[in-house]
Amino acid sequence: MTEFRISRRTFLKGAGAAVSILSLSSLGFLGGNTLANAAEKLINEWDYAGWEDLHRKEWTWDKVSWGTHLVDCYPGNCLWRVYTKDGIVFREEQAAVYPVIDPSGPDFNPRGCQKGASYSLQMYNPDRLKYPMKQVGERGSGKWQRISWDQCLTEIAEKIIDGLVDQGPESLIFEAGPGNGGYIHMMAPHRLFAGLGGTNIDLDSTIGDFNRGIYETFGKFQFMDSVDGWYFGKLHLIWHMNPVYTRIPCYHFISEARYNGAEVISIAPDYNPSCMHADEYIPVEMGSDAALGNAVCQVLIEKGWVNYPFVKEQTDFPLLVRTDTHRFLNAEEMEGGRKDQFYMWDAAGKKAVKAPLDTLKLPCDPALEGRFKVTLKDGNSVEVQPVFDQLKTMLNNEYTPDKASKICKTHPDTIRRLAEKCHKARGHIQIMVGWNSSKYYHGDLIERTMCLILALTGSLGNKGSGIRGWAESLFEGALAQIFKGHEGLGGLAQELPTLKRALNLIRREDPTMTDEMSAIKLEEVYDRMMVNMTVPAFLYYEHSDYKKSWDNKAWHCPTMKRQFSEYYNEAVSKGWWEGFIRPAIGQTPTVYCWMGTNPARKNRGWNKNILTSLWKKYKLIFGFETRWSTTVLYGDYVLPCAGFYEKLDTRFPTPHVPWLTITEDAVKPIGESKMEWEICAMLGKKIEEVAKKRGQTRFTPKIKPMEKFRFAQEHMVCRTENNDIDLSKFGQWQCMGANDFNTIFEDALNTSVFLGNLPAGTNMAKLREVGIVRFANVSPFDGVSMNLATDIKPDEPIVPLTWHTGEKKLPYPTYHRRMQFYIDHDWFLEAQEQLPVHKDNPKMGGDYPLRMTSGHQRWSVHSIWIGNQQLLRTHQGRPFMFMSPLDAEQRGIKDGDLVRVFNDFDDFKVHVKITPAARPNKGGTMPGQVIIYHAWEPYMFEGWKSYDTAIPGMIKWLDLVNNYGHLHYWRWNWCAQPIDRAVSVQVEKA
Amino acid sequence: MTGEDKKLTQREEELAKSFEAAKDNLRKFDKQVGMVMDLNKCVGCQLCSMACKTLWTSVEGREYMWWNKVNTLPGKGSPKDWEKMGGGYKVKFEGKVMEPILGKHPTRKEFGDMWKFNWNEVITNKAGQVHLQAKNPDGTNPDWGMNWDEDQGAGQYPNSFYFYLPRICNHCAYPACLDACPRNAIYKRTSDGAVVIDQERCKGYRFCLEACPYKVIYFNFVKNVSMKCIFCYPRLEQKVPNACARQCTGRVRWVGLSDDPKSLIYKLVKVWKVALPLHAEYGTQPNVFYIPPLAPPRLAEDGKLDHSKPRIPREYLRFLFGPEVDAALTVMQTELDKVRNGGKSELMDILIAREWKHMFGPFDKDPATLERKPGQPGSYSRPDMTSLMDQKI
Repeated sequence: MTEFRISRRTFLKGAGAAVSILSLSSLGFLGGNTLANAAEKLINEWDYAGWEDLHRKEWTWDKVSWGTHLVDCYPGNCLWRVYTKDGIVFREEQAAVYPVIDPSGPDFNPRGCQKGASYSLQMYNPDRLKYPMKQVGERGSGKWQRISWDQCLTEIAEKIIDGLVDQGPESLIFEAGPGNGGYIHMMAPHRLFAGLGGTNIDLDSTIGDFNRGIYETFGKFQFMDSVDGWYFGKLHLIWHMNPVYTRIPCYHFISEARYNGAEVISIAPDYNPSCMHADEYIPVEMGSDAALGNAVCQVLIEKGWVNYPFVKEQTDFPLLVRTDTHRFLNAEEMEGGRKDQFYMWDAAGKKAVKAPLDTLKLPCDPALEGRFKVTLKDGNSVEVQPVFDQLKTMLNNEYTPDKASKICKTHPDTIRRLAEKCHKARGHIQIMVGWNSSKYYHGDLIERTMCLILALTGSLGNKGSGIRGWAESLFEGALAQIFKGHEGLGGLAQELPTLKRALNLIRREDPTMTDEMSAIKLEEVYDRMMVNMTVPAFLYYEHSDYKKSWDNKAWHCPTMKRQFSEYYNEAVSKGWWEGFIRPAIGQTPTVYCWMGTNPARKNRGWNKNILTSLWKKYKLIFGFETRWSTTVLYGDYVLPCAGFYEKLDTRFPTPHVPWLTITEDAVKPIGESKMEWEICAMLGKKIEEVAKKRGQTRFTPKIKPMEKFRFAQEHMVCRTENNDIDLSKFGQWQCMGANDFNTIFEDALNTSVFLGNLPAGTNMAKLREVGIVRFANVSPFDGVSMNLATDIKPDEPIVPLTWHTGEKKLPYPTYHRRMQFYIDHDWFLEAQEQLPVHKDNPKMGGDYPLRMTSGHQRWSVHSIWIGNQQLLRTHQGRPFMFMSPLDAEQRGIKDGDLVRVFNDFDDFKVHVKITPAARPNKGGTMPGQVIIYHAWEPYMFEGWKSYDTAIPGMIKWLDLVNNYGHLHYWRWNWCAQPIDRAVSVQVEKA
Repeated sequence: MTGEDKKLTQREEELAKSFEAAKDNLRKFDKQVGMVMDLNKCVGCQLCSMACKTLWTSVEGREYMWWNKVNTLPGKGSPKDWEKMGGGYKVKFEGKVMEPILGKHPTRKEFGDMWKFNWNEVITNKAGQVHLQAKNPDGTNPDWGMNWDEDQGAGQYPNSFYFYLPRICNHCAYPACLDACPRNAIYKRTSDGAVVIDQERCKGYRFCLEACPYKVIYFNFVKNVSMKCIFCYPRLEQKVPNACARQCTGRVRWVGLSDDPKSLIYKLVKVWKVALPLHAEYGTQPNVFYIPPLAPPRLAEDGKLDHSKPRIPREYLRFLFGPEVDAALTVMQTELDKVRNGGKSELMDILIAREWKHMFGPFDKDPATLERKPGQPGSYSRPDMTSLMDQKI
């Protein structure tokens, strides 16, 4: 025992008394001669704590600042602390300073995910861009040259002027995306292209995050509760969503709601990760959800489990439809009144009465069932029927649980049980829908039936109820920077009367409009006149090979009665899209600029649809980027941007996590990278300089401004009195009279305080001090925030729609101002989609036995982070596709094999992961499922052909409607969007 | 490999005794900090892994390590098939005798190596010619990683099943690594019971890698020492919870003093008995405990609910968490049903964790409020920063 003494430790208590370890065996497993080592090399006195400073010293820092991640990883707004050492970001850790809002539920801490936790690695990853680069060989040659900022911006400016001279302003295409690099910085290139009169592609239509069915029902989709509201739901239907992957920091509100008595049901074709913590898993055939949902509604109605007072007041169920024309009975035909004034049947008075336009308050107790006779102005008598009666008949005829079961392949008992649970939730159903349904061809139908369940059970406007959409609003001070004259409240003072004048004009046209409706109309004007935003459907159909895909009738739904081109031509020739067809017909695109997006990855079927056609038409392709993306590699120039901890900005705002969240310039931008605002200010000056040098400063847009609203452009120094583009003061326009970004940042905050979005006293100093500021309220100048239709309370989750469902009884911004389940547009009637019905998924890509489904993945936010060397190690470090063991075995495919996935459109190769979680092919109407999560960089696949390659990117023809009440495009709304889910494919061993 | 095989000399017996006494000493501690993880809240996001990665394993020699990792179960995990690698003890005579089990030394590739990617080739070649690929440092193609079989699971559709299991060092009461170390370099810290490897004493024999039945010890090939999870002792010393626990956004992990009846982990482990050690049969007595996973009911052939057996085979959960798993799951389901029927449950309230920071007992300090200046300015760098490809172009 003299061999050693560790005296310090002998006084400490042992871990337990009774156990003795057989030291001989202990030594035995050390192996032969280690016995000697074991004791003889010991040192008599050893200070065991001596080395421990090693790790203490590693956990040190010079400075702590706030950080967040400037991307659309919805809903984001995770506040981090960024720790720096020696001018380098060492690491980040969640700040976890979200205050308790509603003490009866859990708080938001510690918001974040593994991507956020590794942005410090991402910022210094090998794919980081540091210098302005030019592809000196042809596009995709891989011959890159580092150039100076001056050379880079001069060459870009020259080509922009070339484009303006050659084809005109609308030929300059700007595509922004969800990885925007900061809300305020994002406005800078928008302003640049708005100033140039370019075409601004709506991001929702390229990413497919527009929930068509929710919009069709409510006249909006950007309303949702703050995520802490989830906790108060009683029945969570996770349906077309995988929150375990996509809502990592929010998921705890679901798991904790369950511990609070809520039931969680996951409805999906595959046993996806969000099924594991559910109380019930309901497998469903891919894309058959509308049949399942309708059957639930059939049971609800049959059992009388309907909140009748709610549906009578809030929905179009009482509205009368003519049985001869299938159209709403309107005041024009009744008395020469408004064509959009509709009727309900007063059961007591036995007559048709007008459904009020300015309130949801009922004028009578309306009949929901029956057929009635009314006499029109011309003396003719017609039969009318409430929407509900038609709906009920349809559900009873086609969607009993037994009938629906044959479509959705879910047992009728399951459907009945689900209906009962919906009933028992007493108005507290939370439908967790992501943006999966919106990417299905008939996703609108799926969402409409989800909304129907909520309406029947009155699950709207209650804490913990509702459906998810997308919502980006509550920080309009930033958005106004796209079009206002100059920074400061002076600039706003100049802009406000213009906005007011426009609003007044709109209201004068129809005094029954709510503030929300007029805010939407105002948006339409500004989108068309100032922001130049539109859907890309026209650019694609006129100038790219999307036309070939869309014109292929076999890949559309068989219920599309005519050729796609007929619908397209009708929509164009009838002027439904007037002012939004950009570039104008006959104008060829010349310049393409992207920001915060990776179109070579994102645009469905980009390789075939764009690369070989539209891409070639562009004379200049450049982008704002922080990393080498596939799109960069196919472009001409790339502008290196500051990383998320290298600049000041805020994450884009959302009521879902209702705080404005700051990121700070913890360190200087690496290499020669710069903030987007600064780059745009430099480019603006350069454009002016080049234009003047060439003596070409004035350009006439092809698309004329709206006569009535011409005044809105008056304050723009980049417009002449004729609304032409004027580049003689373009540098001044672009920087808004500011010399630095901090001024612009302050301006965005001040303006938002003024507009009412942010609380008084919010400024840069305050935000730098506290990191997050909770939004104060919605603003009538912000149509998107008005879609919440609620007051934001300080001590409660945001509960949307209460202005409709509560005492105010404000009408919805739909065609007929109620939740709209019946759409009597010609095309909808022709398609038999006036009511929510089920339609089979079309065979996009051809007739093959497998369907490729997708979804946002866990390992990156879109393609940002996808190259993060450490995150790559948390999976297989390469793209993979999940496949059922049954489907794999049939094809002789083993786990890990490389396979070829193909259809009539294209093919790609990928490695397979075999999992019984994927739905197997059962023949006939039960195709097998292959799952490939999105956002792999195309350059991670052989030949750079990613899974997007095999997606033809169809759009549903009904999306081209633009002449029916709310079915009208405005920013992020009513977006025709290329489809990417459930594409037909076959798989074989590569 | 038992003592009977070999007759020891007197000298050897003396040595053996002193060895045993030394190990007893190294196992002693004042207070034991423990951790409970609720697998019903875990979403497998690897935030814990990244939290640990940026804090401890982003420096030279450690980049390939994952002191914290999350695996999909059933699965082979990390290192690959670690549950078949042995180590730990065979516990006999009601714990009076613990007979070590010979363990296998996991290889670097079984853990998942530090892959290198061909960025430069991708960017400087013609589009489509070279695609981004990982290579092991020895040039071979990776065929395993820390989470290679993620989300694959088992079962038969639609009765497929899987769940996530986050793992760190268990900071055992009887650490096999500690016993196996010929250098006596492994000990339990006095103030928190964390099992740590003295980096100055360690000479890289790697017997600990063999002995640890959980296979959570890595070898640092640059420094030639063994390394593993240190239970964030520098943070615990400052009353800041472990990075993996504090940063867990699923709010899965509770930290506290194991023997303090007031601590939440005590309530979960000893009172409600819903939190169980992983593979208790390994005999090392972990201080990390798991609340086992519930799962949706199975579906019969015709699509109706089938309550005759659970979706996750109970045998499998017993294999992981021992026979106590049955009672734990019953308690969980009973308490869930209770709140669903309008009742109150202390257990559910603990698991909801309304105020997040209460999950960590006395360790509730915000690290950003601390002053921790590095000793030597100018000494910090990141390995990748100097090798950015665009400088070469």
